[in-house]
Amino acid sequence: MTATSETPMTQQTQQTPPADSTVQSARDSLATATPGRVTLRSLRKVYGDDASATPAVRDVDLDIEPGEFITLLGPSGCGKTTTLRMIAGFETPTAGEIRLDDDLLNKVAPNKRPMAMVFQSYALFPHLSVFDNVAYGLKLKKMPSARVTEEVETALTSMNLGPYRDRAPHQMSGGQQQRVALARALVMRPKVLLFDEPLSNLDAKLRVQMRGEIRRLQRRLGITTVFVTHDQDEAMTMSDRIVVMNVGVIEQVDTPEEIYRHPLSVFVADFIGRANFLDVDVQGIEDGSARVSVLGRQWTVPSHPEVEVDAPVTLLVRPESVRLSPTDGRAVTGSVGRVLSSMFYGESIEYDIETEAGNLVVSVADPHAHETFSPGDYLDVGFEEGRAWLMPVGDEPQ
Amino acid sequence: MTDTLLPAAAAPVGASTPSPRPRRRSGRDLTLVTLVTVVSLLLFVIVGLPLIRILTVALSAEGWEIVSSMLTNPVNRRILWNTVQLGVLVAVLGTAVGFVMAYAQVRLKFRGKKLLHLIALMPIVSPPFAVATAAITMFGRNGIISNKLLGLDIDIYGLKGLVFVLTLSFFPVSYMNLKGMLESLDPSLDEAASNLGASKLKIFTSVTLPMLVPGIAGSFLLLFVESIADLANPLVLGGDYTVLASRAYLAVTGEYNVAGGAAYSLVLLVPALSVFLVQRYWVSRKNVVSVTGKPAGSPELITAPALRIPILGLALVVAGLVVLMYATVIFGGFVKIFGVNNDFTLSHYRFVLAGIGSDAMFTTTLLALVATPIAGLLGMLIAWLVVSKLKRTSGLMDFVGMLGLSVPGTVIGIGYAIAFNTPTILGGRQWFPAVAGGSAILGGAMAIVMVFVARSLPSGQRAGIAALQQINPAIDEASTSLGANSFTTFRKVTLPLIRPALLSGLTYAFARSMTTLSPIVFITTPQTKIMTSQILAEVDAGRFGNAFAYCAILIVIVLSFIGLLNLAMLHPSIRGIQRR
Ligand SMILES: Nc1ncnc2c1ncn2[C@@H]1O[C@H](COP(=O)(O)OP(=O)(O)O)[C@@H](O)[C@H]1O
Ligand SMILES: [Mg+2]
Repeated sequence: MTATSETPMTQQTQQTPPADSTVQSARDSLATATPGRVTLRSLRKVYGDDASATPAVRDVDLDIEPGEFITLLGPSGCGKTTTLRMIAGFETPTAGEIRLDDDLLNKVAPNKRPMAMVFQSYALFPHLSVFDNVAYGLKLKKMPSARVTEEVETALTSMNLGPYRDRAPHQMSGGQQQRVALARALVMRPKVLLFDEPLSNLDAKLRVQMRGEIRRLQRRLGITTVFVTHDQDEAMTMSDRIVVMNVGVIEQVDTPEEIYRHPLSVFVADFIGRANFLDVDVQGIEDGSARVSVLGRQWTVPSHPEVEVDAPVTLLVRPESVRLSPTDGRAVTGSVGRVLSSMFYGESIEYDIETEAGNLVVSVADPHAHETFSPGDYLDVGFEEGRAWLMPVGDEPQ
Repeated sequence: MTDTLLPAAAAPVGASTPSPRPRRRSGRDLTLVTLVTVVSLLLFVIVGLPLIRILTVALSAEGWEIVSSMLTNPVNRRILWNTVQLGVLVAVLGTAVGFVMAYAQVRLKFRGKKLLHLIALMPIVSPPFAVATAAITMFGRNGIISNKLLGLDIDIYGLKGLVFVLTLSFFPVSYMNLKGMLESLDPSLDEAASNLGASKLKIFTSVTLPMLVPGIAGSFLLLFVESIADLANPLVLGGDYTVLASRAYLAVTGEYNVAGGAAYSLVLLVPALSVFLVQRYWVSRKNVVSVTGKPAGSPELITAPALRIPILGLALVVAGLVVLMYATVIFGGFVKIFGVNNDFTLSHYRFVLAGIGSDAMFTTTLLALVATPIAGLLGMLIAWLVVSKLKRTSGLMDFVGMLGLSVPGTVIGIGYAIAFNTPTILGGRQWFPAVAGGSAILGGAMAIVMVFVARSLPSGQRAGIAALQQINPAIDEASTSLGANSFTTFRKVTLPLIRPALLSGLTYAFARSMTTLSPIVFITTPQTKIMTSQILAEVDAGRFGNAFAYCAILIVIVLSFIGLLNLAMLHPSIRGIQRR
C-alpha cells in the first residue's frame, strides 16, 4: 500500500486529495464526457405479474440536470435501487418514461445505454487483473489496443491504482477494489454515473474518505451522477440535491440544506436528522411566518406554504435549536422542563427533557463542565425561533 | 466468435458526439433472444421430439391397448410388479450401502480413506455389463467363488442377481449425495447434543439420522429411478425375470412391435418422471442441511469400537466386492475362459484393439469426443439461462434440459428410433432427413451424437447451476453495464468463472457418452458400431473374455480423457488471471 494512503482523513480538514500533479492531470483527461440530462416521468414499477400488487416505485417524476450529483435517499425497501436499476436498464418500468437528453430509453438495452454503474459489491471480474477489469468495456468498443492501454493507464493513475495493475481483485483491500470499480466505470466516459450504496461495505473511516473522493472527482469531471444510499450523512455531504423516497414515492426533492431546514413532510423531517415535534396553537399566519404558542410563550416561526390555521399542524424543532437555561421553577409547566436523562458524546451532550409539550431531545454542542445539567434539574426551555418550522400533519404513508 | 452482433460497440469512444443509436422496434437484448431460441430448438430436437413421438405412438389405438392392459393382463401385471419390486429393493439396499460408505468416510477414523473413496467411485466410470459379467463369473452356477470354492449351486439369474449387481453399480450415487450432506452437517450440533449428555449412539439416532432424512429419501428416489430404467443388467442377468425396460426392448428388437415398445416405455416413463419430479421439487426443498454451507469446525472422528467395527466391517465388504468385480474384469480379459480355462491369452485384447472390435472403439470414442464439448457447453449455457437470464420460463428450461437423464434411456432410444428413422416432417414440410438407422445420413452417427448430448448435458447443467448460484448477479450486470451483450458476457465472464463446473460437466459428458447403452441399442447401425452394444453382443454370445477386454479398455479411455482434460485445464492459457 503506497500512494493510495488509506489513512483516515478527517472531515473537518477538507484537504485536497493526496494526489500529485500527474494524478490531477490524469483526472482532467478523463473529463471529456458530455454530461447527460436524465428525465423520469410517471415512472412506475410493479414486480411480478399481478398488476394490482403494491408498486415498488410509484409515479416518480424527476429531472436530473447535466452534471448534477443527485442522491436517492430513503429507508430500506423504499424503491431506491429499483429506480436506479430502471435508469440503468436492468429493470423494465411497468409504466412511465425514462429519457436521456431527448432520447426515450425505455426500450434501449442496458448494454446500449451510455451509463456506467458502480455496485455495492464492486462486482469486479474475479478472473481478470485490475488492468483487464478496467479495459473490459473499452475492448468491447473495439478500441485499438494501444489506445486501450493508454486510457486504462490514465484511469488507474487518476485513482492512484498504478502499482496494482496486475493484481487480482481478491488481492486488494475493499477501498482499492472500490477504486477499481470506479475507474472501470469512468474509463467508459459515461454520460451518467450510477452508484448503488457503493460505500456500505467499507469501514467507517474509509467510507468518510471515499465520500470526499467521489464527490471531488464528480465535481471535477462534471458527470451527471445518481447515487443511492440509506445513509443520511452520505446524502447530506455529497449531494447537490437529495430525493427523499418513502414506500415507492418521492417525498421531497431539494438541496440538503432545504431538506434539513424545511422538510415538506413529517416523514422527511423525521428521517433526515433528528426531530422534536411540538403540538402548538396557531394564532395567525402571514407571509410564510406564523404566530404560535407553546411552552408558555408566543413565538414567530417560519411556516410551510401549505399550512392553514385550522388544519392539523406540528412544529419541528431540531435538538440543536433548543435552548436551555437554569430556572427557579420547580414544576413541569409553561416553559419549565425537567431533565430526565443525559448522555455525554464528547463533542456534545444530549438531554431528554420532560415538558408540558412532550419529551424533547436536546443537543448542546461543545459543553463546558460547569454548564452541564443532571437528571432531576429544572430548566427553562426555549428554542431558536428562526430555526423552527411549522408544518402540516398530512396523512402520512405508514 | 466475433462481436459482429454488437453494432454499437464500434461507436466512437469519446461519446462526445450524440450517439446515433440504432433504435429498432425492440430494445431487448437480441442476442439473448437468439440464444434462448437456439437452445430451445436444440432441446426440442434432441429430447422433445422423440418424447412427443413416443407419446403419440403409445396413445395410438394399438399402443393404448397394451397400456390399458397393464393392470388387467396377468403377464403385464407381473412385469409391472417385477419392475417396482426391483426398484424398491435396489433403492433400499443401495441407499443403505451408500450411507455406510459415506458415514465411514466422513465420521470414522481409519487409514486408507482416500482409497476407500476411490473404490466407492469406481462404478461411476464403469461400462454396463462389467459388474454383471464379473458377477456371473464369480457367483453364477459355475462361479469361481460360489461353485468352485464353496461348492454352492446358486442361480444368479433373476431378482437375486439383479439386486446384487444393481446395488453394487448404483450405490455411488447415494454415497456421493450422503457424503456431501454428512460433511456439511454442523458438528456443533453433535457437540451440543453431547454437551446435553447424549451418548454417541444417541447422537447418531437423535441428531444425525433425522437431519439426513431428506438426503436419504432423495437418494432412495434417485436409485429407484436408475434401477427401473436400467436395461443392460436385466438383459444379461434377468433370465425369466422380465421388467418394463427389457420388455420394451424385446417388443422393438424381437417382435418388431414399435407400438408395443412405445406403450411399455410410456408405462416406464410415468413413475420415472414422477419420482424425478418429487425428488427435485419436493425432497430437495425439505432439505434442512445447507449443502453449500461450510461447517463450523470439523467433527470429532469416531473411534468407539461399538460403532467403528460394524460400520467399517460393512464398508470393507462392499469395497472388497467392488474390487473383486473389477479384478475379475481385468483378469478375465487376459485368460481364455475365466474359471474354465485359465491359460493366459492376448486374443481378447487383440480382438478389441486390432481386430473386428477396434472399429467400435474408434467410432465410439470419436462420437463421444464430438458430443462432449457440445454437451458441456450446452449444459453451461442452459445453466446460465436458468440461473441468471430467464425469469418465468427458467423452471421449464431447467426441466426440459434434465429430461435427457430423467427419462429412462430405453424410452429415449425407442423415441429416437420412432422419430428419426424417417425424415422429420412437420406441417407438411421436411425439416431434416432421417438421422437414425442404417439408411440415415452418416450411417446414423448423427442420432448417436444427439443421444450422447441429450444423455450427458444434464450433469453439466446441474454442476453449472450450482456454480452459478455462487456468483453474485452484479458481476453479470457490471459486464452488461460496460456494454457487453448477453453472449459476450457469457463468454468472457461467466464461462471463465464456472470453469470447474465446466470441467466436471465435460468429464461426466464423456464418461456418460462412452458408457451409455440403453438408448444406443435402438439406434446403433452396422456402419456405426458402439462399444456398449458390442459388449452386449459378446456377452450374449457367451464370449465373456472379449466383453472383459472391451470393458477394461473403455475404462482406460474414460480415465485417460479425464486425466488429459484436467491437465489441459491447468494450462496457463486456459486458467487464471490473464497477465499481460
Ligand atoms: N426482484 C424483485 N422482485 C420482487 N420484489 C422486489 C424485487 N426487488 C425489489 N423488490 C421489492 O421492491 C421494493 C423496493 O425495493 P428496492 O428498490 O430494492 O428498495 P431499496 O433499494 O430502497 O432498499 C421492496 O419492497 C422490495 O421487496
Ligand atoms: Mg437497495
